[in-house]
Amino acid sequence: MSSNVPKRYVNPYISGLILGLILFTAFFVMGRGLGASGAMMKTSATAIHMVAPDVTEQSDYLGKYLGTGGLLGDWLFLELLGVAIGSVLSAAIGRRLKWQVLRGPRIGVAARLLLALLGGGLFGFGARLARGCTSGLALSGGATLALGSMVGMMAIFVGAYSMAWFLRKEWN
Amino acid sequence: MAPLAKVGEWAPQLGLVAGFLIGIGFGWALEMGGLGNSRKLAAQFYFKDLTVFKVMFTAIIVAELMMLGAGALGIMDLSLVFLNPTFMVPMVIGGLVMGVGFIAGGW
Repeated sequence: MSSNVPKRYVNPYISGLILGLILFTAFFVMGRGLGASGAMMKTSATAIHMVAPDVTEQSDYLGKYLGTGGLLGDWLFLELLGVAIGSVLSAAIGRRLKWQVLRGPRIGVAARLLLALLGGGLFGFGARLARGCTSGLALSGGATLALGSMVGMMAIFVGAYSMAWFLRKEWN
Repeated sequence: MAPLAKVGEWAPQLGLVAGFLIGIGFGWALEMGGLGNSRKLAAQFYFKDLTVFKVMFTAIIVAELMMLGAGALGIMDLSLVFLNPTFMVPMVIGGLVMGVGFIAGGW
């Protein structure tokens, strides 16, 4: 067997079991679940603060994301930093690290990246509106059986399934 | 007694180290199952590959049952666990917007 053939992904139920153990560990150790969009928001608020400190501090919305200890003193930011490192390590060990733009055969790189930018913007906006993303709202809220999280999770799937047909050329 | 950081009044630095390590595990668990692959994520919405459902709901059920178990055994005070407050209308609208962004962006 060649040494640069990517390894297969593990069985999704095994991956889910491990993810569940990690999620439980977060609750058991810290009393809170996992998140992603909140850390992005804190990073954005910190970046905006560098350009326009007064406006950011006076803003009710952005101000509360600034925190006191900077980004490296923030739990969620360090957790997300860990996510980036952990996923790269896993991909490297699985020989899956590769510079590429994943897309279907019927779409160009530029169009795929434009849609990624638009989709990312929409996802970020939606995540702030719903107070959480697939990690903070759906996964962590789902495990604590929070009502709004269950509804929000269903809404994410409804939104994605309802648009899938229109974007079929991006992926298939 | 858990949650450790809340009951034991941890120094903030200890919590930050824990957050970083938990994050590494989080990223690792997602990538090993294929959730770092946008085509695999998108395939969910064409009923071609249900990895997202399998990973997410397995994780939710495992974490949920373990928390209930830890609570029943008296080793975890579940009242100290953060619960996402419910804001129904913004969560429905935000969820729908996220879903559209999800299929357009591949995450």
